Amino acid sequence: MAAATSDSNCVTSPDDRIKLNVGGKLFESTLSTLRSGGPDSLFTALSYRDTGDTNLVFIDRDPEIFSVLISLLRTNQLPSTANRFSKQELADEALYYGIDTQLRSAMAPSSFDGIDASNIATIRPASEGLSSTFTAAGVDGSIWIAHGGQVSCYDWNLSHSCTIRTHLDEIDSICRVWPEIAAIGSASNAGLHFYDFSHGRNVGTVRWTDPSDPRIFKARVNAIAGSESSIFAAFDCQHRENCILEVDKTKLQIVSQLARQSGNQVKHTVPRKLTWVPQTSVLVGSTVTSGAFGYSGYIRLWDPRSGEMVWETNEPGAGRSSRFGDSFACVGVDVEGLALFKLCSQSGDLAMADMRHLKEDPWIYLQEKNPSLVNTGGASSSVIHCYRRQVFVGREGDLEVWSRLEGMKNGAEIAGGDAEGLYRRNFVDKIKDSERGIIKQIEGGGNRLFISREDVEGIEVWETTCSSGVISVL
Amino acid sequence: MNMPPASASNSSECPLPKSDSNIVTINVGGQFFQTTKQTLYSAGPKSFFAKIAEFQPSDPFIDRDPELFAVLLSLLRTGNLPSKARAYDLQDLISESQFYGIEHTLRNSLSGPSQFEPFNLQKSIILPLNGRDTPSAIATSEFGSVHVAHGSKITSFDWSLRRKSTYLTQFIAVDSLLALSDSVVAAGAHDFSGLQIIDLKRKVIETTLHWENMTRSGSTVLAIGSSPEHLFASYESGRRNSNSIMVYDLNTFSPVTEIAHNEIFGADIDSAIPATKLKWSSGYNLLMASGSHSGPSGVSGSIRLWDVRSGNVVWEMKEQIDCFVDVTVSDNLSVIFKVGVHSGEAFFMDMRNLSYGNSWVCLGDSKKVLNGRKEGIGCKVEDQGNQVFCTKGGDIEMWSEVIMGSAKKGDEKLDSRVFKKNLMGLVKDIGGSKISNLAFGGNKMFLTRKDQQFVEVWQSSTVEL
Repeated sequence: MAAATSDSNCVTSPDDRIKLNVGGKLFESTLSTLRSGGPDSLFTALSYRDTGDTNLVFIDRDPEIFSVLISLLRTNQLPSTANRFSKQELADEALYYGIDTQLRSAMAPSSFDGIDASNIATIRPASEGLSSTFTAAGVDGSIWIAHGGQVSCYDWNLSHSCTIRTHLDEIDSICRVWPEIAAIGSASNAGLHFYDFSHGRNVGTVRWTDPSDPRIFKARVNAIAGSESSIFAAFDCQHRENCILEVDKTKLQIVSQLARQSGNQVKHTVPRKLTWVPQTSVLVGSTVTSGAFGYSGYIRLWDPRSGEMVWETNEPGAGRSSRFGDSFACVGVDVEGLALFKLCSQSGDLAMADMRHLKEDPWIYLQEKNPSLVNTGGASSSVIHCYRRQVFVGREGDLEVWSRLEGMKNGAEIAGGDAEGLYRRNFVDKIKDSERGIIKQIEGGGNRLFISREDVEGIEVWETTCSSGVISVL
Repeated sequence: MNMPPASASNSSECPLPKSDSNIVTINVGGQFFQTTKQTLYSAGPKSFFAKIAEFQPSDPFIDRDPELFAVLLSLLRTGNLPSKARAYDLQDLISESQFYGIEHTLRNSLSGPSQFEPFNLQKSIILPLNGRDTPSAIATSEFGSVHVAHGSKITSFDWSLRRKSTYLTQFIAVDSLLALSDSVVAAGAHDFSGLQIIDLKRKVIETTLHWENMTRSGSTVLAIGSSPEHLFASYESGRRNSNSIMVYDLNTFSPVTEIAHNEIFGADIDSAIPATKLKWSSGYNLLMASGSHSGPSGVSGSIRLWDVRSGNVVWEMKEQIDCFVDVTVSDNLSVIFKVGVHSGEAFFMDMRNLSYGNSWVCLGDSKKVLNGRKEGIGCKVEDQGNQVFCTKGGDIEMWSEVIMGSAKKGDEKLDSRVFKKNLMGLVKDIGGSKISNLAFGGNKMFLTRKDQQFVEVWQSSTVEL
């Protein structure tokens, strides 16, 4: 591109004007505006035409959508006339001109804030609408939903892009490997399976085998997490022996095995939840089981390079004596803020531990200062998900968010008492939202929060919008 | 998608510059539009637009509504209707597209078979039928027009499902119906002698075809099928002692040949079973004919694949143990698919290595095969694209093949194929009354239910028609 400008006879300046004829309507703009479409766009290619040639560029497309897209280039935001076109239409047209990244950023929802979010849509697959699990890990706000052995992809626009049928009858864990490849596992079927969406087929399977131990076979996948180069999958056998296998993302082959356990006690069972923490390169695994004597479980941190366990806590048995019998019911990892969160099963309190200063009893029990919101009971079915340094907690049907207060010092730096007020709790939803059903899974991605509920078809999409949503009552 | 190229025009300052030879300026009702010849030619060589493209050098004037023209020009450019088309009634767009001769482009974009998305089908439209009769047979054409026989009437809906017309037939009830084109159907009944070819648009019976059998007792029609060249009809004589499949030329309706002619002497049950389903497999150039009979000793039947040119049976399967209720041949999957009458389970057979010793592969609980209860009764099996659809009572199961990566040696059989089913629809759609007919056309699935005087249409949730 630089060469094209230097050797052309007349020097072009970014302020030079250019005329375009789009479908019979004339448009005039500057070269700098056109070039803001990015190096790969059609406009940039047109703007480097020899200016000596006075020919008008003719583009055989609809002029009305073009006027929307040229104002997008001029102002970096969509004009209100864009509302006359469907999102899909704008996306198709932007793709034609090669400026889809500009359109995406202009159409992207505003920064997600749990204290000001609303349910804007429900994604409902056409059949088998009950989702078993989903992943929203893409940064663009797209989502992959596993439902009844199928996986459906919804793109950044939340429009349906494809559905594939897998050979599993129920998919219980799913993880993105590549933008086109998903890793899936099932509690009823052995192996970790890779599916390619563009071809709709199975492209590989990883099974846990051990030549020296014939009992290791038909191991099922309980949880999957992905790092930049690897996939970690927690396998367990029929006799409950378990381990975590590290699978190379490019070759889809096993690299190493870590955390092999016998599974004969609760504290040796397979991790049901895995999270990769890229900042510190550790893998966080946790499991919770509930029985007649209450909840028990563990949280462990592994360093996959050495295969060693870095830190662990087992409950009941750890923690301060005042919290005896109040073991956690679920665990969340704040990957950005490097914190662990647990929800206590008896009191329903939320506790936080700084991952940079893990010790024997690192927990800070976050205090509710608003007397009307103080917990009344335990957390019988609860979910924690951390997204954008906020902690989302689903208790039955209620969705609450714990947000960090600005202007406070870091939790580890302030002594005991103060840290308990570091987070403030709010409800995200209305009471009528909570009546839809028990929250099953919460996940954030691309400025959206996705929620699935038990026995409710479809996935709720929550977004923060700056439009007031004013309602006329005349 | 049609992506016309951007091109440079030789021009000066005027608002609508004089174009080079590739750019065409059109004045529609006072508004000027410019486009390329490629876009205009994409409407088809004989369309109005192709004529405009040749209408050089003077700018053509078309005395039509410019706004509708803008919608149709977008359709030609991108292959999709723009969202502003929603401001217009589909009927206006259709009549305007008929004026310009591009109705096929509009039809392809809204209802073409390439738009069929099996995983995205949702119950979306109900087509009510007047009167009290429930539908007995439905027939669809390639682009989603549907003809419904209810009582002695046939109501046909056009591809947009916006217009209908009803025709009174000579039948008391139509049992088999096949669409030969958007307006011509072949119809037959168990209690009526002869196969009628009816033009529903002109409302005339084009011809009535008979099978001249030995007993001269009339010929009732049990099944109709067609290939790109031929029309097939399965006949049984009025005394039910002989049956045959006649092959007619699809254009002239003159008889070409006769296959599967059986005369029954004595208690020869096997040859007494006439074909009740005829399905052409274009991939294999074979006609599948299946028929079954329910007697005191159970249900028995046969599936035959006929080479129509030579008149020979290429492959035959006699069914005794868990006879099919319905069977189909899927070209895309290369399988024969059936539902067993006793088990109600789906079975498939790989067509790529058919031989006489073949057996069915059960896709479900094979223990139920011998239970003797007739769980599968009334099931329908149809294939469309890469999927096979089975109705079970009021529900539809969709079977898809899962293509597995490199087959593991020793682990599985090398040629074992994986089929998986899903129940279609949302929870609220499940468990309606029993499905009596199932058909596919365009991007839609049509079904009728017992005792309900309407046709249910399922289509992609993204298509707004």
